[in-house]
Amino acid sequence: MRSTAFKLLGLIVLLLVGRFTLAQQPLTIDITKGIQGSGIPIAIAPFGGGAPEDIAGIIAADLQRTGKIAPQPPGTRTDYSVTGQAQSGGARGYIVQFQLAGVQGAPLLNLSFDVPPNQLRPVAHRISDLIYEKLTGEKGLAGTRIAYIAGGGGSWYLVVADADGQNPRVILRSGQPLMSPAWSPDGGKLAYVSFEGRRPQIIVQDVYSGARRVVSAAPGINGAPSWSPNGQRLAFTLSKDGNPEIYALDLATQNPVRLTSSSAIDTEPVWLPDGSIVFTSDRGGSPQLYQIGPGGGAAQRLTFEGDYNARPTVSPDGRYIAMVHRRGGRFHIAVLDLQTRQFRVLTSGGLDESPSFAPNGKMIIYSNGQRLTAVSLDGSVKQDFTLRGNGRDPVWAPYGR
Amino acid sequence: MQHITRNLIAAAALALLAGCASTGDTTGQDQTGTQQDATTEQGITAQPGQDAYSYPYGQAPSQYDTYDTTGGTAGGQAGGGRPGQAVAGGGSAVSADRIVYFSFDSAEILPESQAIISKNARVLTGNTRIITQLEGHTDERGSREYNIALGERRANAVRQAMIAMGVSPQQIRVVSYGEERPAAAGQSEQSYALNRRVEIVY
Repeated sequence: MRSTAFKLLGLIVLLLVGRFTLAQQPLTIDITKGIQGSGIPIAIAPFGGGAPEDIAGIIAADLQRTGKIAPQPPGTRTDYSVTGQAQSGGARGYIVQFQLAGVQGAPLLNLSFDVPPNQLRPVAHRISDLIYEKLTGEKGLAGTRIAYIAGGGGSWYLVVADADGQNPRVILRSGQPLMSPAWSPDGGKLAYVSFEGRRPQIIVQDVYSGARRVVSAAPGINGAPSWSPNGQRLAFTLSKDGNPEIYALDLATQNPVRLTSSSAIDTEPVWLPDGSIVFTSDRGGSPQLYQIGPGGGAAQRLTFEGDYNARPTVSPDGRYIAMVHRRGGRFHIAVLDLQTRQFRVLTSGGLDESPSFAPNGKMIIYSNGQRLTAVSLDGSVKQDFTLRGNGRDPVWAPYGR
Repeated sequence: MQHITRNLIAAAALALLAGCASTGDTTGQDQTGTQQDATTEQGITAQPGQDAYSYPYGQAPSQYDTYDTTGGTAGGQAGGGRPGQAVAGGGSAVSADRIVYFSFDSAEILPESQAIISKNARVLTGNTRIITQLEGHTDERGSREYNIALGERRANAVRQAMIAMGVSPQQIRVVSYGEERPAAAGQSEQSYALNRRVEIVY
């Protein structure tokens, strides 16, 4: 009944609007600027076979939100086309099979999957990524996930959702504020700050078992956890010695080592792939980004544009640092290229905060204080995530599990 | 389907309970044991683990209360609020004579705040068994963790002023909520001014 209604609605949308985005999907995509118009045109035919998910619709939405591929209604003349079937059968419940054809029908991909019914959405995302990778040469993001904080005012939630904003899972709810989630490099754990007991502490939660471990509950601030590239250490902020300083904790020995020493605010540490740490400090009078070596030592200032650069986040290859940048009283997401030292403002600004790189390094998700948005590293593609309620502190999960 | 809905309602009610009472009931069937490896300093209210409930990803609920801080409507029980108006459940119910306000980007004690600080300092010096928690807050602009640091700087400014007035440091605890517990909703200067504050809780 439900699936029939969905298919009917999908058909109506296809016929009337000529787009694949279904009306009931909570995600809306707003591509402000496409690359070369609206990307590589591709025709995607509805999948036959009667599966309870609109596989073609999911693929089309995934590809459209990349900003680099432009799904077209079936029948449109395009160089690339996707056809497929999702039929009950196989050992697990459904056989999903698809073909990507290139110019004049040349076969580029032809694959099939044997999946249980609850894996139909993930397999559609997998197909999206296979098509994206084939056409662009870049790794796709459709099969990845995000975490964010929702709620406020009495109930706070740590939510893990698919990269399209669908399938939200509340892995933690609390009567006190939650903030600053950070994925472990293997994607199996989240570190975050919880104010349960009316005091801040840093907790590591296993995403799959729900088990939690308090890793820091020192007097004062326990904030801004960040995983080392090998996942064995956590950097964070403690103010137990009087003012906020950066510490690194070996998770096996539980022994925090202090890395900074200034009378100013030092916070928001993140690791570069080489083990050095970038953080926010107002030691120069205004918040700016600084870098220290793996063991601390003299800090080198990285940002010089304007009087507010904070909350750094590092691209997976270590080349770019995205941050919160204030100019003209508005907060923007900006990016610093560590190779060329070029500084670029990516967003039009407002209350933009909490940037986080996608695992392919091509997109940056952030919050405008209320909602989640993503912008491409070159500023050319924008995606809005329409979640249930508000969302903030988004973090894109690494590739992996 | 029906019992899932019922569980969700129960979960929401539990969440509310946890939000209101710092010594919330922890009998939720979904609660996973909190392992406390680190030593925790004695707080003035509940111990960690009593406000929060974790779920394995595979069994995690997909529903949660929505909450809007724009000053518009709010879903669920969380409550929103009009610009410049108190947020239900957001800020604590501290009376006006226990709130110290600050200028934008500043942790400087304003002259008009001296009276409030000295009045509360007298209460504390008069009864040394009272422990106060100074809760620092900021408006929502800028980075969230940097705001935690700014909120602590404000709370420490009030702490220093109280110590100068003779209050024992042992009677004062400091916690910063940054922008996480606004007293007023909305993006107006009026709301921002109400949110840049230190609450003297005892």
